[in-house]
Order: sequence, then C-alpha cells, then structure tokens
Amino acid sequence: MNDDLRAALAARLLATADDELMLAHRNAEWTGHAPILEEDIALANIAQDELGHASIWYGLVEELTGQDPDRLVFFRDAGEYRSAQMVEQPRGDWAFTMLRQYLFDAYEMALLARLAGSAYQPVADAAARMRNEELYHYRHSSAWLRRLGLGTAESNRRMQAALDVLWPLAGQLFSPQPGDALLNVEGYWPDLNELRQAWSGVVIPALEEAGLGETASAAGPDDRRVHSAHLDTLLADMQMVARADEEAVW
Amino acid sequence: MNRLLKTPITATLTKHILITDYRTPTTDHQNMDTQWPRWEVFKQDRPGKPFEAVGTVHAPDAEMALLNARDVFVRRPECHTLWVAPEAAVLRLTAQELAGRQDWPDEPATEGSEEMAYHVFLRQSHRRSMVAVTLVGQVLAASSADAMHQAVAQYGASDTVVWWVVPDSALIRSNDDDIASMFEPALEKTYRDQTTYRGRIFEGRRRGGTVKEVPGA
Repeated sequence: MNDDLRAALAARLLATADDELMLAHRNAEWTGHAPILEEDIALANIAQDELGHASIWYGLVEELTGQDPDRLVFFRDAGEYRSAQMVEQPRGDWAFTMLRQYLFDAYEMALLARLAGSAYQPVADAAARMRNEELYHYRHSSAWLRRLGLGTAESNRRMQAALDVLWPLAGQLFSPQPGDALLNVEGYWPDLNELRQAWSGVVIPALEEAGLGETASAAGPDDRRVHSAHLDTLLADMQMVARADEEAVW
Repeated sequence: MNRLLKTPITATLTKHILITDYRTPTTDHQNMDTQWPRWEVFKQDRPGKPFEAVGTVHAPDAEMALLNARDVFVRRPECHTLWVAPEAAVLRLTAQELAGRQDWPDEPATEGSEEMAYHVFLRQSHRRSMVAVTLVGQVLAASSADAMHQAVAQYGASDTVVWWVVPDSALIRSNDDDIASMFEPALEKTYRDQTTYRGRIFEGRRRGGTVKEVPGA
C-alpha cells in the first residue's frame, strides 16, 4: 500500500471510529437515567457495542499508522477529531436519542454491508463481525421510531423537533475527505454519494411511515473538521481522568 | 385460591398481543401505575434443552417485550431461542394451593371453544435458583384451568412445588433468523466472563493493601 492510500484509509477509519466513540459516549450518558429500567439496560448495551466498534476501527488505524488508540481517544483536542456533529449533540430527550440512533444505525448498516466486501481484508473482516450486532441495533431503534412517531401528539411533536435538528447534520456523515477517490478505485471504501442514496432510500420512507414530515433543508456542516461547541464539553468530560495523570496505568 | 383457576385470560391476552397501533395505553389517573405490562421470559440455551422461565420484563407490546428480554436476560449468556408471554396469560398453581383444595373447580362453560395447546412448566425444588420453572411438556385443553388440571395429573410428581401453564397462542418467539443478530454476537465478547479480564485488583481495604496481577483466561 502506498503512502497516499494508507493516509486516506487511516483518515476514513479514524472518522468512522470517532463517530462510534461519540455516539457511545452520548448514549452512555443515559445510564441510570433512561425512562424505564429495561431501556436503560438496552441503551447501555448498545453504547457498549458502539464503543466496541470504535475500538476495532481505532485498532485498524493503529495497524496503519502506529497511533495508540488510547492516545487518539484521550489526548486529541476537538480540532483533531473527525466525528460528525450529529453524534456530538447532547443526548436531548428520549425522542432525540432514539431518532439519532435510528439515523445512525441505518447509516452504519448501509456502510457495513459495503465494507464487508472491502478489498482491504482487515476492514472486510471487521465489518462482517459488526454487521449482525448492528442489525439488532437497527431493529431496536426502528421499533422506537415507529412507536414514538405514531404514539401520541406529544411523542410525534418531539420526534419531529429532533428530526428538524438532526436532518441537516446527517449530511456530514457522507462528506468527502482527501483521498476518497483513491480508496474507491482500490475498492477499500464505498463511494459516499452512493452510500448516501442507499441510506436515504431506507430512512426517508421509514420516517414518512412513522408520521414524520418534511423538514427544513437548511444545509448543515459539510467538512468533518468543523465541530460544534458540544464536542469541547464532551471531550472535557471524557478526557478529564486520563489527562489528570498521563502516566497512570489502568 | 380456586379463583385463580377461573380467571379468564382471553381478554387480557387480546389486550397485550393484538396491538396493531402503538398508542400508549390510557393512564388511569385514579391509579397512577405508569409501568408497562409485565411479560414472562422463557429462554432455551441450546437446541434440545428445555425452556426455562428466567424472569420478567416490562414492555408496551409483544415486539418490545422480545427485544427487552434479549437485552435484560441474554446479553451475555448462551441462548438459542427466546419466548415471551404476557404475565396475565400464565396460570400458576403451587403445591400448597393444590393441597388446600377440596376438588377441582367447576369448569367454566367451554362449549364451542376449540382445544388448544398449552405448555406445562414445573419447579421441583425449593432451592434457590435463577430459574423459576422448566418446560416439561404440552397438553391440549379447552381452557387454562383445564390445562392445569391435566398438567397436575400428567406431571404431578410428588416433589413438584409449582406448576405453570401457558397457552401456546400467547407466546411470542424469536426465530432462527434472529440467532445471528440477537444471540451470537455475545459469544465472542471478551467481557462475557469475568475470568477473561486481565488486570490488577486492589486487595486490602485500607492503605497497605497489595496490588495483585490477574492473568486473563
């Protein structure tokens, strides 16, 4: 693998890992606070799974660049992260959390289906491992999408409000990075425009069936280097202990 | 206690199983119970092993009950198939209740009602256990009370301490297509078993305790 290709693949893997990490962190914030015990456990499970996915993707970054996953997670500042703003947003209410999870699960399902056929074998293997688990996440979040969307006037109102915030942010999941074309030619990573179309083809009918309507099409952030202020507060919380003593052994 | 055997379950069943919309049930403000209905969870570890009642979950409907059962009870342990049933669909009888009974209650009129399959579960020990009852067989009966009557007659070993009968029609089941996404991912989790953790544990309650290396499995 030449240097350009290696750098492009590492950048994609890093962005993917960062998304999973942030989503896991936000979901974990519900632990002990979810509306019902069963869902508290379910969401903690999902958060742990997403953290596991992040760990696998960071591990592949390490194989390519030698960067230690713990250093990547705990000692990068916001500007060095490549997560999408959608997963950095505070957890909001239960509708916001479930809708975000649904939109991300649909994206991850589409991504993993394509990555399972990646010409870079470690990526293909990792995706194959995660796919079954992700199918369960998708089942869980789409069950909530229908129940909250079609539940009461109040639950529908909250879901629509969540969609109005999330929809413009979701585009960043598919934003281009330098080297994408190389990855596509090599068959290492799918074309993100095609991925976006596949995702839209799944989520738009599902949102409509759940009684959620048109949303403002205001353009959201595109470049993954652009973050919201929420990432700073999230990192301050997540990195506090690790940064208090860099030499500490856990 | 005879009353238990006469409780009609059909109405409750219909309420929980035939949900076709997802509206939240109206809350009775005189009796502010905001909990969702309870569902019994039955788990089969491997093909050929008996189903065991492992506990209950709250859920607004059957589909969510199955998902909650997976998250609460089989996130780590081995599982091949999960069943859930509305708690109200389960008829229970203890040996004590049976002993205090003069005879079986009169059957409610079951004319015209078709016989259906009921699953019979037993518990044969007072020992502490994670399992409430274990599946032992099926009977065909016209009602839950009839099914219990048959269950006691057919599976009434002297050491039985409790019987459950559950109509087959009340069960919501995971199927073979669910295994890969619901149960298999757990099998390769490193956090499944405590003994797989490698690390250090602090021994001793105060200063002066020692740190012990724990080799992973």
